[in-house]
Amino acid sequence: MNPFFENQLLQTRRQFFGDTGVRLGGAALASMLTMPGLAQGGSSVNPGMPGLPHFAGKAKAVIYLHMNGGPSQLDTWDYKPGLVDQFDKELPKEFLGDRITTMTSGQGRFPVAPSKFKFSQHGECGRWVSELLPHTAGIVDDIAVVKAVHTNAINHDPACTFVMTGSEVSGKPSMGSWISYGLGAETEDLPAFVALTPNFPNGSNAQALFSRMWGPGFLPGRNSGVVLRSGTDPVLYLENPPGVSRTDRRSMLDALGKLNQRGFEKFGDPDTQTRISQYEMAFRMQASVPDLTDLSQEKPATLDLYGDRVKTPGSFASSALLARRLVERGVRMVQIMHRGWDSHGNLPGEMGNQCLDTDQACAGLIKDLKLRGMLDETLVIWGGEFGRTVYCQGKLTRERYGRDHHPKNFCMWMAGGGIKGGTTIGETDDFSYNPVKDKVHVNEINATALHCLGIDHERFTLRHQGLDERLTGVEPMNVIKKILA
Amino acid sequence: MRIFLISFFAASCLGAQAAESLSFNRDIRPILSDKCFACHGMDEESREAKLRLDTPEGAFRKKRRGKSAIVPGKPDESESWLRIISDDEEEVMPPPDSHKTLMAEEKELIKRWIEEGAVYQKHWAFEAPVMPQIPEGSGSEIDRFVGAGLKKEGWQVTPEADRETLIRRVSFALTGLPPAIAEVDAFLADQVEGSYERMVDRYLASPRYGEEMARYWLDAARYGDTHGMHLDNERQMWAYRDWVIGAFNKNQPYDQFTIDQLAGDLIPNAKQDQVVATGFNRCNVTTGEGGSIAEEFVFRYAVDRASTTAQVWLGLTAQCAVCHDHKYDPISQKDFYALYAFFNSNADPAMDGNKLLTAPVMKVKPEGFELKMAEFDRRKGESQKKMKASKDWANYRDPAEQADKSTVVDSEAIWFEDEFPKGAQVGSSGHPLALVNDPVYSGAKSLKRGGEGMAQDYYNAGATPLSVPPRPRFFLHVYLDPKDTPEEIMIQFHTSEWSHRAIWGADVIEFGKKGTTERFVVGKLPETGKWVRLEVPGEKIGLKPGMPVSGFAFTVHGGTAYFDKFGVIGREDPASDPKASFLAWRKSQTGKPAKGIPAPLSQWLKEGPEKERSVDELVRLKDYYLEKVCMTLGGDVVPLRAEVAKIEEERKAYDSAAPSTFIFRDLAKPRQSYVMQRGEYNQPGEKVDPMTPGVLPPMKKMGARANRLDLAKWLVSAENPLTARVTVNRFWQQLFGAGLVKTSHDFGTQGDVPSHPELLDYLALRFQEQKWDVKGLMKELVMTRTFQQQSSATSPRWDADPGNRRLARGPRFRLDAEQLRDQALFVGGLLDLKMGGRGVMPYQPPNIWEPVAFGGSNTRFYKRGDGADLYRRSIYTFFKRTAPHPMFANFDTPAREQFCLKRERSNTPLQALQLMNDVQHFEAARSLGQRAMKAAAGRDERVDFIFRSVVSRGATDDEKTVVNDFFEKQVTSYRAAPEEAKKAILFGESKPDADLDAVELASWSLVANLILNMDEAIVRN
Repeated sequence: MNPFFENQLLQTRRQFFGDTGVRLGGAALASMLTMPGLAQGGSSVNPGMPGLPHFAGKAKAVIYLHMNGGPSQLDTWDYKPGLVDQFDKELPKEFLGDRITTMTSGQGRFPVAPSKFKFSQHGECGRWVSELLPHTAGIVDDIAVVKAVHTNAINHDPACTFVMTGSEVSGKPSMGSWISYGLGAETEDLPAFVALTPNFPNGSNAQALFSRMWGPGFLPGRNSGVVLRSGTDPVLYLENPPGVSRTDRRSMLDALGKLNQRGFEKFGDPDTQTRISQYEMAFRMQASVPDLTDLSQEKPATLDLYGDRVKTPGSFASSALLARRLVERGVRMVQIMHRGWDSHGNLPGEMGNQCLDTDQACAGLIKDLKLRGMLDETLVIWGGEFGRTVYCQGKLTRERYGRDHHPKNFCMWMAGGGIKGGTTIGETDDFSYNPVKDKVHVNEINATALHCLGIDHERFTLRHQGLDERLTGVEPMNVIKKILA
Repeated sequence: MRIFLISFFAASCLGAQAAESLSFNRDIRPILSDKCFACHGMDEESREAKLRLDTPEGAFRKKRRGKSAIVPGKPDESESWLRIISDDEEEVMPPPDSHKTLMAEEKELIKRWIEEGAVYQKHWAFEAPVMPQIPEGSGSEIDRFVGAGLKKEGWQVTPEADRETLIRRVSFALTGLPPAIAEVDAFLADQVEGSYERMVDRYLASPRYGEEMARYWLDAARYGDTHGMHLDNERQMWAYRDWVIGAFNKNQPYDQFTIDQLAGDLIPNAKQDQVVATGFNRCNVTTGEGGSIAEEFVFRYAVDRASTTAQVWLGLTAQCAVCHDHKYDPISQKDFYALYAFFNSNADPAMDGNKLLTAPVMKVKPEGFELKMAEFDRRKGESQKKMKASKDWANYRDPAEQADKSTVVDSEAIWFEDEFPKGAQVGSSGHPLALVNDPVYSGAKSLKRGGEGMAQDYYNAGATPLSVPPRPRFFLHVYLDPKDTPEEIMIQFHTSEWSHRAIWGADVIEFGKKGTTERFVVGKLPETGKWVRLEVPGEKIGLKPGMPVSGFAFTVHGGTAYFDKFGVIGREDPASDPKASFLAWRKSQTGKPAKGIPAPLSQWLKEGPEKERSVDELVRLKDYYLEKVCMTLGGDVVPLRAEVAKIEEERKAYDSAAPSTFIFRDLAKPRQSYVMQRGEYNQPGEKVDPMTPGVLPPMKKMGARANRLDLAKWLVSAENPLTARVTVNRFWQQLFGAGLVKTSHDFGTQGDVPSHPELLDYLALRFQEQKWDVKGLMKELVMTRTFQQQSSATSPRWDADPGNRRLARGPRFRLDAEQLRDQALFVGGLLDLKMGGRGVMPYQPPNIWEPVAFGGSNTRFYKRGDGADLYRRSIYTFFKRTAPHPMFANFDTPAREQFCLKRERSNTPLQALQLMNDVQHFEAARSLGQRAMKAAAGRDERVDFIFRSVVSRGATDDEKTVVNDFFEKQVTSYRAAPEEAKKAILFGESKPDADLDAVELASWSLVANLILNMDEAIVRN
């Protein structure tokens, strides 16, 4: 955005907060939702940018199911029946290329490890799905599978940074922060962007997460993903100190409002008004967040959709359900980061546990959204930061094998708002080693997500340190038209 | 071409006035840069139609059919203008698919500019600053520049702020802390001329000044206490952080500050401090992730270092030229890689190894270190000398060289015969303890042991510990009941724990780890129905000579056994005991001498006693032996030896207290650098050597190949048009909230033009004239009337200038994360002002690090500190980059993964929650409440005390009413539930004063909590 425009916007916001704050005080902010001149959907505390969305998007919110560590495409979505005959045979040199991690580059042999899992066809679209995903197999007509996604990075840290910020060098805003910055959110009791870090199966090889995956980079700090934690303090410092009741806090905030109002009258600084409203929102969050995280309000039939594990606080399943509740309340973006998909050694065992931990809840989330009529307005994205190699890392048997990182092609799926269910795009070679048709860059996934929200990713830029920065980087990127509804 | 380049002299207002003539730099370049240069600018590769509009040569050149893009004075003949106003979608510029459009005013300006002759200027920041004429007016030079600008607008400066506001403003600006009440009182009482200046001088002289100044620099330097990628393990380079603090406190001139950090290692006879300073270029994030490709990261580090240097000193976004020529600024891709070449010979590895100290590192020795170490050595030498002079030393005879071998002594110690050792507290499982008369091996009784499953008699307390003799062999006598034969029998020994077991039989008792001395299977069960002697060597069960044994147990499984006469045989043979015989020791060390023996002694030992040695060598070996190894020397040697050991320990402790720290060094042989095509690490193109960007004045190099020292000196040379401007602008930003160039990180063509260009030049030149005196500059800035203005304004004035670029009012903005926390601790009387050292871990909610960290990371678990660690200044808080402390994350402190030259100032509900509820803040509020109760008796006085502590002024009557009402409510509510009051005041590790009434204190705590959350408390007003 150009600096002049930014300045204008700042003024607009200031005047806006200044005005309304003075007349209405914190408690009456709700009535301002209908104020004209705001970005579509943005609330007073989570405003969006003027001029956004660029066009009417189908999706209003995004739920991003990030499978951290790099799930194997070969054992889930990229069905390669021919590989059974290639067991333990050398992956042909012409496929291999030269960019291999140093974990396996010295291995000497690159023997093919066919998936041990059975695949069968599902849905009207007849999609092949691995037996590891029996529940997701039941919703294949609702999702679009992107089969040849590629990324630039080959190790976890840069690849996670890439998939979430569009660049492998740290310092860029995360996707959720961009979306929060552009569109704000339709809630004034909750933040625009929420990040969840559920627990994961014991014994899986878990990689680290980085706060930059939900960090605001150079965008204003209010666009940072707020981590909702399991346990008593779902939002940091949400609870009053011991011995301080909600009534005490209310009295304090009443006094604070009066003192700050006097300060505003004295200095005229519009930021003072913003601060009054932020303290009021904090107070509302103290009530709205516990209400949000109280899953006991859900009907048994709903809980059943997500499976038994939904009852375990901090599980992926409960996070998925929480994601729906968040979106329902107007939160713009929810990002769930499920760890443990980095199966270098015992892949079949670990993948089994990983899928058991997530499969039903992923499908449950889609079904739940659909039942409530929310799926059309909610974009759901599933995928990791890269895929895994067809060749085995370590010891190879039919039953047990490991796979190294593979950035050249992996599978992701998208569903809901703006996406045509039952579609597929992209083909890979016989070894699932190189894309042969319709390859898609991770930044094209992100471009597509923005498109579903009504944002033209090329025009959604912010001038930072001399560059017009955007989520999807400097290289040309295309929206994946073939999977759009 | 020269005729078109006039020197930059822009009017000091922000936009062009209709009557004024246009300035290319102020009015036209921003438009062209934004809308045209991407395709018609510097970058050759993306240039369309071979047309460039960023130089007059390019724009005026006659192209096909004799047309020029711009014909000075004649818009109607200028092809570019005709294209701008074209209706034809194919023709119009900028093309619709670029998503760039020119607004009507912009078009008008371009037209006017062409009409006025299309005069180009070199980008202002690349021109050398020229000392401008100081405008007429009142106040300091700076004030007069500001005043001249305001006059044009018809505005005036705002009156001076009141003295309470001023002292708080200055105190925060220079030390990051509010003033103490006593400081406020002293300032108010000082009515003598020059009181403000004296107050400023006091804060400049405070050690807190360096801590405050360092914060901003550490953002620029991207300092952190972890590596920043993947495992994100701890790294040790806090000596660099402390160096920065010290440099500001010592007021090191900024030019030297620059040279030390970029090239301290290359300075001839560099002082230790200068090498510590090179940590600047080791602050970047590094990886240790398995599988990473080394070349990729070596590349990334050099890119990071070059980009950071360009941005911090030159205000240039050089990293834009990593993949292609800069689109807007005259920095080619080759320019970038020439800059990169300065940093591309780094000696530090691609993989940090996840280590605390990734080489190159240096030990940072405190002043007087060598003297102190020499003193240790002298004291040690003296004691050794005395030792050698003692009678016992001289009388040592090697038993191996004595003819008389009668010194060999076998000993037998009986540990059990008829009874357990005296005082032993014996416990039994299975049937009760049974000492029986039959069968008996010796003495009067034997011990009968049996029962269901595992059964035993044992003790591990009560008796004097038994000692294990040299070469121990344990023995015992057993009689297995033939009618109830056990599956297994066992003897267990207790030293510090039950960890020594000898087993005969089936090994079914699940004690100890198999295959270790905790569970050693000696052999099969002996024959039943008769007494059998069993033996086990001490070494098999981990019992070494001299070990105290505090208990033992007779254990059986699945049957009954009788135990009798249990003990140990030892053999003392001084001639073969390395602790008694010099020769035996030498034999024992042959081949692989013990660790820690210094060279060349270790080598001599390794070669064995067979090898011939000179007398001198033998004496040295023997001296070492007698001092460190031999256990048979008595008399004076014993205390002297203890003394030597003590001195050595002290020396070691002192030595290891001096921390090592990351430093920057080059490889012995420089790496060749290349232009990396498309910015890819594995696509080297043209070779490049270290060089500075061509658009700037040339660099002098000392040797054949330019190095970092040349670069650093060039940055701070008088000819460099950027460094001083960029630097003074950042200090200005620090004090006023925004720079004169608002884009303080970008002085290129895409950056903002300065709001007060002449003032900027004045400051830049004066800074250099004053020999880069940072304290001097800070003082000059805070001494201005501009800085001392009230920060209030009417609503229209806020709207007209929300960012206060015209400086018609004083600065007012939210305090930074560190300032907010430090303020709370300070007013609560909790702040610990200790300086320096390893990062500390104050309160942090659980599950900040744990849920994100890699399993093997050493920063996976947050280990909260205790005591003073909870209350140190925030600059000393341990900085984990992939999961920064929430205080930092909530209040816009950058994650320090990249340089940051300007923090955001957001205003969020999460901030409100933290300031109200964080234990750190609430405890500080209680502590402030407590201070108020002790300082004053009356309610109004207490309210005043809290106000004065936090915002340096007393409360108004109106405010007192509001606060008193709240206090009243709280007292009533806590009186009804005093246990709640107690809970509130016990929050935090420090304890409240027990003499104070809990209900009162809790209520005052909430009052303090209220006032610390006031807008006025959260901002620097």
